[in-house]
Amino acid sequence: MTDPIITARGVDIFYDTKQAIHNIDLDILPNKVTAFIGPSGCGKSTFLRAINRMNDLIPSCRISGDMKIAGQDIYAPAVDVVALRAQVGMVFQKPNPFPKSIFENVAYGLKIHKITTSKTEMQDRVEWSLRSAGLWDEVADRLDDPGNSLSGGQQQRLCIARAIAIKPKVILMDEPCSALDPIATAVVEELIDNLRKDYTIVIVTHSMQQAARVSQRTAFFHLGSLVEYGETKSIFTNPTDERTQNYITGRIG
Amino acid sequence: MENEHIVKKFDANLEKIKATIIEMGGLVGLQVNDATAVLLSYDKSEVDRIRTYDRIINGLNKDVHDRAEILIVRRQPVALDLRQTLAPINISGELERIGDHAKSTAKRAHIIHSAPRADAVLDMITQMSANVQSMLEDVMVAYATADIELAEQIRDQDKDVDAIYKNAVQTVVETLSKTPDNAESLIHLTLIARNFERIGDHICNIARYVHQIVTGEDLKASVDPADLRLDK
Repeated sequence: MTDPIITARGVDIFYDTKQAIHNIDLDILPNKVTAFIGPSGCGKSTFLRAINRMNDLIPSCRISGDMKIAGQDIYAPAVDVVALRAQVGMVFQKPNPFPKSIFENVAYGLKIHKITTSKTEMQDRVEWSLRSAGLWDEVADRLDDPGNSLSGGQQQRLCIARAIAIKPKVILMDEPCSALDPIATAVVEELIDNLRKDYTIVIVTHSMQQAARVSQRTAFFHLGSLVEYGETKSIFTNPTDERTQNYITGRIG
Repeated sequence: MENEHIVKKFDANLEKIKATIIEMGGLVGLQVNDATAVLLSYDKSEVDRIRTYDRIINGLNKDVHDRAEILIVRRQPVALDLRQTLAPINISGELERIGDHAKSTAKRAHIIHSAPRADAVLDMITQMSANVQSMLEDVMVAYATADIELAEQIRDQDKDVDAIYKNAVQTVVETLSKTPDNAESLIHLTLIARNFERIGDHICNIARYVHQIVTGEDLKASVDPADLRLDK
């Protein structure tokens, strides 16, 4: 079996005294889409955000246990969080393009991470990212227009282009389609499937149907615990835990 | 192409189910052909081959069910997609049953191969077999190309098969009174003729599913079950 790219061992996460995540062990496999599902407040987003230390921004949040990416402890004192986030990109629920041009949105990460200073290289990488995000044909002739002039679905693909421009190992997606209509959702889902060849994707979704559509592996969280984790096919056709069964069939929420 | 899904895997999943059904149809056709050959000229190795086909066909039947189940779970098909997902479950069941009739024919051929030949009945069975084989080929074409006119023609052709079957039964009855010693093999031949008659019916059912996939109309549902309730 392939070695996991992300390994979590005994992860606990607290907000002040409230424990949001209880002793989670989880291996995420490379070049797969892994979906986190579960009712609101189950801890799936908290756990996702722990993978690129987004929780560092919340002062009351503390984490214990081991979280490794490609064998590196990402909570080790020497870890540069900015460098970590270059390895682990993130796409949010609401498309959040910077108030800059389409081009600048994608080029931004390349500049701050000093990935390239050459103008041609920059242009090539922006085009490559936009092509990978399936957006190039729609924006090629208006790269100087503001990013927020695009439709919601296009903005989300712009955010994905921005995330992949710096070639991360992992892309975290927190409800990436919840603000999109069904067609834009289908376009993003098709994109996710294509990106899987080059990246490892972890997606949090409220839509169990979306988890079934886009992922190869699914993790079901409930009350801060990991209840069941396995092949998406088995989770949705024959879950082993009664709580998973009750959740995916709409019996508990 | 404008008819493709945005999510390309969706098309690939549906195509794979279709390809599996067509593969099943091909194998079932071979089985029917071989079963008829065994009946006319007995060959033990052919009987074994028919049994092997049967195992492959059962495997493909399960494959269609598994793929449809996963497609429902993963893609949540609606409208045409839903019909293209559900119909194959039924079609593969019909094909599997046709295979069972071929297997039953081969088994009966094994039982009667040393008994005196009843050529008149055998000729009729051979004719039924030729008819259903051609219908089976056509119904697979109708399914593959969503051709509802062809599906309609197939349902008409089944009337010929039914007519030959009726004749065959009549001939058996007449032959029985003349050569009662042959009763056992004649009964087997009647049941073999019955197999081919049933094969024709299964092919008609497949033709109905083709019609249903394309139009959404269920040709079998013209009677409301509520009207047939005994306690009404």
